[in-house]
Amino acid sequence: MKCRKGTALLLAGSLALGLAGCGSSKENGENQTAEQKLTIWAWDEAFNIPAAKEATEIYQSNHPGAEVDIVTMAQNDIVAKLNTSLASGSYEGLPDLVLIEDYRIQGYLKAYSEEFSDLSDVVKNEDFASYKTGINQYNGVTYGCPFDSGVAGLFYRTDYVEQAGYTQEDMQDLTWEKYIEIGKAVKEACGKDMLTLDPSDVQQIRMFMQSAGTWYTDEEGRPTLEGNQGVLDAVNTYKALMDAGIVKLVSDWNQFVSAFNNGDVASIPTGCWISPSVIQAEDQAGKWAIAPFPRMGENPDSVNATSIGGAGWYILKNVGHEEEAKTFLKETFASSTELMNTLAEEINLVSTLNAASECENYAKPQEFYGGQKIFQDFAAWTAEVPRVNYGESTYQMEDFMKEILAQVIAGADPEEVLADYQVQAEAALGQ
Amino acid sequence: MLKKTARFLKYLFLTIVSLISVFPLVWMIIAATNKSADVTKGTILPGGYFLENFRSLMNSDLQYLTAFKNSMVIGLVTTVLAMIVSSAAGYAFVVYKSKNRERVFNIILISMMVPFAALMVPLFRLFSKFRNLGPLKLIALNTPMAVIIIAIATAFLIFFFRQNTRTFPKELIEAARIDGLGEFQIFGRIFIPTMKSTYAAAIVTTFMTSWNNYLWPLIALQSPEKRTLPLVISAMGSSYTPDYGMIMVAVVLATVPTALLFFFMQKQFVAGMTGSVKG
Repeated sequence: MKCRKGTALLLAGSLALGLAGCGSSKENGENQTAEQKLTIWAWDEAFNIPAAKEATEIYQSNHPGAEVDIVTMAQNDIVAKLNTSLASGSYEGLPDLVLIEDYRIQGYLKAYSEEFSDLSDVVKNEDFASYKTGINQYNGVTYGCPFDSGVAGLFYRTDYVEQAGYTQEDMQDLTWEKYIEIGKAVKEACGKDMLTLDPSDVQQIRMFMQSAGTWYTDEEGRPTLEGNQGVLDAVNTYKALMDAGIVKLVSDWNQFVSAFNNGDVASIPTGCWISPSVIQAEDQAGKWAIAPFPRMGENPDSVNATSIGGAGWYILKNVGHEEEAKTFLKETFASSTELMNTLAEEINLVSTLNAASECENYAKPQEFYGGQKIFQDFAAWTAEVPRVNYGESTYQMEDFMKEILAQVIAGADPEEVLADYQVQAEAALGQ
Repeated sequence: MLKKTARFLKYLFLTIVSLISVFPLVWMIIAATNKSADVTKGTILPGGYFLENFRSLMNSDLQYLTAFKNSMVIGLVTTVLAMIVSSAAGYAFVVYKSKNRERVFNIILISMMVPFAALMVPLFRLFSKFRNLGPLKLIALNTPMAVIIIAIATAFLIFFFRQNTRTFPKELIEAARIDGLGEFQIFGRIFIPTMKSTYAAAIVTTFMTSWNNYLWPLIALQSPEKRTLPLVISAMGSSYTPDYGMIMVAVVLATVPTALLFFFMQKQFVAGMTGSVKG
């Protein structure tokens, strides 16, 4: 008897809850259609979201009363939601502005170019780092506003390097051969590894390739594993690092960060966005410096600058606020050096807006890096990054690259393995 | 003496295994009390940052508490409705005979084999039409009901209840009919109370599935104030510099409801899963 009453109560209660939930949702649904509110989707609460907030403040000061809704979502979640909504042709709940990673955008533009706004009158490509403008265009039309620079640098521990008998001058404009030589000396002098590598995440290959101005695929989207000197050199460089015995293997992001926070490695060759993670180890202040990214010495095209990561802002034009969204970009990310100046201070943003290098905060020396003006350096290297069209198959090709590297490290001949996978990749990409 | 050593070895083995399996949980709690930099360093001692992490979680724009409430509402309503619908279906598949019974049941089982990813786009299209279809507005996209409705009649639950109903003594039903009970009364007054442990097992799994459900809520719920916990926690992790301390507090709190539910229903859950039914 008691049990039955309990059940009845539970039933009634949950139904009431469910209905209450529906009731409130109905109201919100109606409100949403009535409001002229811009919605922005982005990921990273410590980076992209504060940037969107600062931009919103600028926009709102120009347009009092304008409402902007910023939604934090995981990057993969944004991808999943965009894919589902665009594939089903339903715009309900889609944002007006969305941040899309550089490696993914070409795929979207190819499949859904009619869903994105033509930003030719908002974004002047000559205002941005030239490497970024290989990514935000499709068929000659500009669809995106470049945002953060993924320019890479060689973060290194000055104390370890000096202990091994090298100076900070020695670290400038390295080749990978020299880097390995220094790495071995550091290992001998301090017992520390030179860098971390994560076999499940082959970002290093991306950086090597871009430093030589090449990619997994060519302009037409065909795989270029075979007969591409840049890819071959990238694979060889990776193997050389592995064989040198100076690598600490990690298996995820957390271990990667903890390795340098713990002082287990002497350098981090990666994107400028790692800086906030480096700085969080306050006890290492003054022991770090940043040098240009090493180049592949045997490859004449390879330069001491490359990029990893980075994203751009895009407008979904069929959601309903295309003009407002364009105004938003025009007044903020597409032009505002004031915004870039604030963001350099607030989130360590290295902007791809050329004019940003003149900003006041870019000239500030950073105590953590022994007084180095890291923003100016990054801005200068950003301008050097070779322009590459990432195409739409970066992540697909990367699955092959992981297998290629595994075989090469096990001793297979790189050229043969690349030729093998060229055939597989062509089949997979339907070329 | 030999027996004693064997016993000792057995317990030693069990202790080690349980330490290994409990360690991630303990570490999660420890990590919640440390600041992010210490978490990445792999600290295994409790720190004093719990309150600070908790505060940054509450001050974050991600509306953690709202998400907690949403998950709770969706979890509870789903569980209650699923118990009614799926158990009635499982019951009917055993108690009532009809020519096509097995065929219908097989179709339901086959639906278990279609991966959700394949259904996602069609489902989304279907649900996106509901907004303009009168009363169906109640289950349109961006409402909790859109998440609830597809979880209340699952092939697994119907199958689970059907298998367990088979152990339910038919004589009880016949005796009840002779005593003049209607079919609904038999179900409500005889079947449900007898099958308590089956229900307990089903409640635990249904609530847990709903609580952890990720893909469909991600697609179906759009405004930030509608999101469920897994979505919010996932949004926290996607960062160049994740705040691990805060994430761990979020995860610890998110574990509490399912843990409590499981502790309360542990006995019945085990009985239900192993399939023993006592009248």
